[in-house]
Amino acid sequence: MVVVPEFLIRRVYKKGSLKKLENGASLELKNVLGPGFISGFNYVKINDVIFEPKNVKFITGGQELAGENVSEANPVAFRLNQEGILVMTGQNCVIDGKNIIEIEVMNPEAGKVRMTVEDIA
Amino acid sequence: MEITFDKHSLIIDGKRIFIKSGAFHYFRTPGYEMALDRFAKMKSGGYNTVDIYFNWNYHSKAPGEYDFSGIKDVRKVLKAAKEIGLFVIARPGPFINGEVNAGGLPFWLLKMDDVIPRNRIGTEYHYSEKYMQYIEEWYDHIIPIIREFDNVILFQIENEYATDTMEEDYMRRLYKMAREKGLTCPIFHNDAYFAGLWADVVDIYALDLYPYINPNQNWKQDNFCFDTLDNVEEIFRGAKENSPPFIAEMQSGWFDKWDGSGYKHIRDALGDEHINIMTKTALSQGVTLFNHYMAAGGTSWDDLACDEVYTSYEFTAPIDEFGIIQNNFYKVKEINYFLDSFDFTNTDPVPFEFNQENIYTKLRHDNTNNCDWLFVRNMNAETVELNLQKTVRLKPYDMKICPVNLQLKGCEIEFSDVEIFARLYDENEEILFMIADKDANIYLKDYGIISGDKNDYDNLIFEKDGKTTQFVFLTKRLADRSWLLKDKLIFNADYVLPNGAAALERNTEIAYYDLKHKFAKKYCVINEFKDYEKPEIIKDFQIGFCSPEIDLHYDYSNWKKIGTKTDSFSCELYDEFVWYKAKIPDILKEITLSARHLFAVYINGKEVLNRNSYKIEKLQEVPETISIPLDTKILNHEINELTILVQNLGFDKGFSGDTNSPRGLVTFETKPTVPLEFYVCEKLSIERNDLRESENPYLTKITVNFDIDFKNDVFFAKYLSLENFWYRRATIFLNGVKIGRYIKRTRVQEKFYLINEFLKPHNTLDIVIWEKDRNIKSPWGFKSDMKNVIIQIGTQKMYQLFK
Repeated sequence: MVVVPEFLIRRVYKKGSLKKLENGASLELKNVLGPGFISGFNYVKINDVIFEPKNVKFITGGQELAGENVSEANPVAFRLNQEGILVMTGQNCVIDGKNIIEIEVMNPEAGKVRMTVEDIA
Repeated sequence: MEITFDKHSLIIDGKRIFIKSGAFHYFRTPGYEMALDRFAKMKSGGYNTVDIYFNWNYHSKAPGEYDFSGIKDVRKVLKAAKEIGLFVIARPGPFINGEVNAGGLPFWLLKMDDVIPRNRIGTEYHYSEKYMQYIEEWYDHIIPIIREFDNVILFQIENEYATDTMEEDYMRRLYKMAREKGLTCPIFHNDAYFAGLWADVVDIYALDLYPYINPNQNWKQDNFCFDTLDNVEEIFRGAKENSPPFIAEMQSGWFDKWDGSGYKHIRDALGDEHINIMTKTALSQGVTLFNHYMAAGGTSWDDLACDEVYTSYEFTAPIDEFGIIQNNFYKVKEINYFLDSFDFTNTDPVPFEFNQENIYTKLRHDNTNNCDWLFVRNMNAETVELNLQKTVRLKPYDMKICPVNLQLKGCEIEFSDVEIFARLYDENEEILFMIADKDANIYLKDYGIISGDKNDYDNLIFEKDGKTTQFVFLTKRLADRSWLLKDKLIFNADYVLPNGAAALERNTEIAYYDLKHKFAKKYCVINEFKDYEKPEIIKDFQIGFCSPEIDLHYDYSNWKKIGTKTDSFSCELYDEFVWYKAKIPDILKEITLSARHLFAVYINGKEVLNRNSYKIEKLQEVPETISIPLDTKILNHEINELTILVQNLGFDKGFSGDTNSPRGLVTFETKPTVPLEFYVCEKLSIERNDLRESENPYLTKITVNFDIDFKNDVFFAKYLSLENFWYRRATIFLNGVKIGRYIKRTRVQEKFYLINEFLKPHNTLDIVIWEKDRNIKSPWGFKSDMKNVIIQIGTQKMYQLFK
């Protein structure tokens, strides 16, 4: 298992990408770490609002994937320098000013990969 | 030796040197002779450097104690490298990972107050001055030995290190320590995250690259796994100016785990295509220092393994655990010989546009040979025909290095996708040995096209201004059996050692070629090899019981008494096997325990539980606690005797989990709660010479005697096969040395290397079995049942050496 320090994981988040949506939010990721797979979206937490995989969509490489459909058996490839948009729906979560975002995904080699970042919508 | 560098390469005594290194673990391939054998094979395959981890834990079993004697004599290892003519990359940690127990940190260190291993907890940085003091002690022992050898060209501090906040004082202190102790060669660190980490702390920035770390992944299908490698030059240039591109660990195989799929699966999955792509892509990115991790596999004998891996550390390396050359070795040899033929230490990228799905191309200008080299890779599942400078046909998952405008002595290659295997030359004459390929061509200026569709030794000669260039073609099969030895090529040998000895498995006519004498032939007749490939079924063995500790009334009064904490660190018990004994009253209703990794509980000499608690889920160790109900049938005395045997498969290697995760009897509780006095002892009775008459057959021993007929000019590797063994667990001892752990559950390893270093003319093999069939009631019945056990001893390979 590979342990990736959080300061490196945070580089995946595209600063300034947080957007407030009607009843949700979106944000952008870019894989600057190395090629790999995401084998699960555990949750996305924006401020105090937690989005379960069923309320998370990942749009990348022309595909729109429901978070709950991404699993060890059905991982999604995330290549070096590939970009993706995470869309969370079902709850309002973005506030004016500083937002705290926590994203936890699974990776077949690293297990749980978690990042916490701050952004302004 | 003066070692400097610039942005292109290492410079040794004023000369640019391309570093072609492979990793070797002296602790897993013990003894001078075995080191010499593996180094000789590496050198024959064109490596010029060996990378050596120095394992602190292997040398220091107690605070202040250091052992560099016998097979732990690292001077002899370094001497062997020097004798063979290899440079050395020294990597003494302090932490080395390498899938060794506790990542190479001494067990005693892990329990010391105020010591925080690697100055981090998880990924959080916590500086520990006490830890640094102990590192200083290790460096004080190991660096003076390393300094005795002038072929040591590079020195690594720490291993794949990072923290959340990247404070630099730890790494800077390691650097300073090394310098203060007189080390003069360049110092580097291997960044596992290819993020430029520690580039400012070290002299040369280096990184590790393993595109295939998940054996369930199909790297051919998910071919984007090379994304990082395909852009690695940019990473190097961004990380540190004036530092040569150095891949400190470049994947040449991968390790298998207890819950893995076996080394055959990994070797089949990687084939020889993977190492070809890895190495050639690295060259295309300007890399002039690479280290194949590993070049030679090894054996995690004794307690060397971390908890993740089993005995074989074969690693699907070019030279396997037995010292046998594998198919990926031939591919490495081709590339290394090519690098010996043309100085590749000073090249620059040249813009080259070619876009086609799953095709990678890169053009480099060679400032030394004043030509270009075009690198082409096909990641399609079918052969492709590409219109590049000329038409190039590439097989699936193949990669080639094509010369462009290469001026030779007697002609000029405009372009060639017939690959160059090796080159012999003097001032007026040169011979290029080419690998015949029916789909490839050489385009010669003024002469036109030469087809690569050739037979062995077909040749063509070209002359210009009194100088000649001859092309000699070798089929791939012959190229695999061809060996470059300084100014000579030797054909048709299984392998050739640097001293010129040709190793052969069967009667063979070998051929020699050098510029002065041209071709010569020699017929070699193998003396006495029998049909060794069929293993011998061992029928004659003795059976004995070897767990007197379990017997009621066993005298354990001289064992160590411990307190309430029973885990390995609290009790300073670091061995694989640990016995616990205590008296328990008959009022107990239940005992609850957690133990790592395999354990059994015996009460009054009878087994009440036998459990394998090793479990990994989502890459994490799964804790397990088990309760055993007790009744008067079990507790049939007023005071009863409890015996627990725990097998610790190793401490965590410290890359992900903590090296100091508890092992042994981690927790123990009784219901109702009563205080118990535990006594402990390490090792199996066979290791302690405590074999006495016993009535219990819970651990039994099969003893086999066999002889080895050592001959001077014969290389052999022998193995024990437990392929048809029906017991679940066994521990194997060769002449008293623990050489293997067998656990049937995952069937990952059934063949065990009888390590040459431990073999003698007359040998004793003991196999301790930790399992009793519940249906067998009597010791006699058990012994009778064991007589049917099938064990085999065989010879993996045997070569006669001809000088």
